[in-house]
Amino acid sequence: MKIFIIVILFVFSLQNSYADAYCSLRDPVAQIQQLYPQKTNQLSIVKTVDSSTRNLVKLALPSNDLHFSELGQHTLYVAMKNTEALGYVHVRSEQSKWGLVEIIWALDKNLKIKNFTFQRCRSPKKKLIDNESFKNVFIGKNYEELKSLLSSDGITANNILLDKAKDSPELASVVLRCALKTLLITDILWGEELKKFNPK
Amino acid sequence: MRLFTTIIMLFSVPSYGDFSDNLRVSLDGSARLNVNSATSNTSRIYALGLDTHKVFSSVNGDIGYMVGQLYLTKLSNQTPFSSLFDSPDDKQFIIREAHLNYTAGPKWLPNVRVGHFTLPFGLEASIDTNGRLLDYYHGKNLGTKLDWGLGLNKVLTNVEYEISYTLGGKNEPKTIDSSYVFSGRIGSLSHYDFIIGFSFLDAKIDNIQRKRLAIDWQYYWQTWGFLGEIAFGKDDKFQNKWQEERYSLLELNKTSINEQLKFYGQYIVTDRESDKKSQQLINIGISYQIDAKLELSLSSRKQLDTPESANKQNLVRFQLRYRY
Repeated sequence: MKIFIIVILFVFSLQNSYADAYCSLRDPVAQIQQLYPQKTNQLSIVKTVDSSTRNLVKLALPSNDLHFSELGQHTLYVAMKNTEALGYVHVRSEQSKWGLVEIIWALDKNLKIKNFTFQRCRSPKKKLIDNESFKNVFIGKNYEELKSLLSSDGITANNILLDKAKDSPELASVVLRCALKTLLITDILWGEELKKFNPK
Repeated sequence: MRLFTTIIMLFSVPSYGDFSDNLRVSLDGSARLNVNSATSNTSRIYALGLDTHKVFSSVNGDIGYMVGQLYLTKLSNQTPFSSLFDSPDDKQFIIREAHLNYTAGPKWLPNVRVGHFTLPFGLEASIDTNGRLLDYYHGKNLGTKLDWGLGLNKVLTNVEYEISYTLGGKNEPKTIDSSYVFSGRIGSLSHYDFIIGFSFLDAKIDNIQRKRLAIDWQYYWQTWGFLGEIAFGKDDKFQNKWQEERYSLLELNKTSINEQLKFYGQYIVTDRESDKKSQQLINIGISYQIDAKLELSLSSRKQLDTPESANKQNLVRFQLRYRY
């Protein structure tokens, strides 16, 4: 009983919270395989998204916020081919009028978008993910380059992206906001640790 | 338990970084109020526990992960009470999930899970209900929800599967009166909008032999979900006298677009050869996730048919849950 109380006091000193029990956590194994077919394994790096990260996101992307499920501890996966790092995989959620859209982002070692796919998207327009010209707008771009695709309201995508998205403008803006938050949070929380995989 | 501790130590040896790397720890507390109108009884269940998740890694990548959930659970006037307790006001340390999953094998080999885990069967295999009012009735239908043993699992390109052999001792890591549970499920990937799974179970728990085959599905359309589980099988409670049993659960749920509010309704029909008529239940529940830490939930269960020798079930439950 004493040990139990000591451990509880220790936990109170941490700032973790995650709404669902940890037994429900599942690694996106099939999706990482799809984004990095040559990978032999993945390396998890867990970091905490807290209120200071949230404030940095609000500062960098005015009019934006993080959904409460985005706070707490999250995993960035390093796709490995034996001992070589191929790139990174990060899953983030963005609120939409069809519930949360969960997107799996593959990033290269310079934190540019390499590819992406929906883990969960319940929009009737989810076929947007098969639109190569839409995806190509993202691929190879870093945070600053993608930020230039935001319109002046800071929420919606500008016409460069919307022209490619055809009849799915709302979902296109959701994907853009998710991409920006993913790149920003990856750099803020994991950037320093990831330097060892990209020593140049 | 000793075996489990030894395995944790073996996992830790090649780990890269210290034990706190990739470690999640949350304090999980809940207070549940149960108002049972059928028996004119009001009871409470309090639980305070630690929920942990740790990924073990080497320079080549992840080796596996561990889940550990230990809860101090206190009953207050709870009748009937679970076999894990000794009286209606008892308190006990309860292990919920406590397992290691070794994931570093070659691509063609399955992952290996060892410990205390949820039986891979039906809806519960892909939807966690531990500590929630939402339930898919593993314990009632299969004899236990969690058991100690060994499992093989893998997520492939188009399907995922898990098969396990466990000891049938429920909360105890041992066989009791030749108990065992052999169960498994194969299904489409659990992140899709349409998920279908097939399960089997062959078990002997508490001297009751059970055999089951089941199909389960989940279909999500925007913020709506339509879920179901249909199981067929037979029970042998009295030595070589098998009795057929059919069970079906249908659920319709709806979440708000920010996913803070969730409503669900379940219709459950159980048909037993030993009973003259089927048992029909309705569950209605609502949960409100105020933030990442605090959740309020309310549920009501009503029996539609009139049982031969008992009152109709009529239970209202309220739960406050806080995770830190």
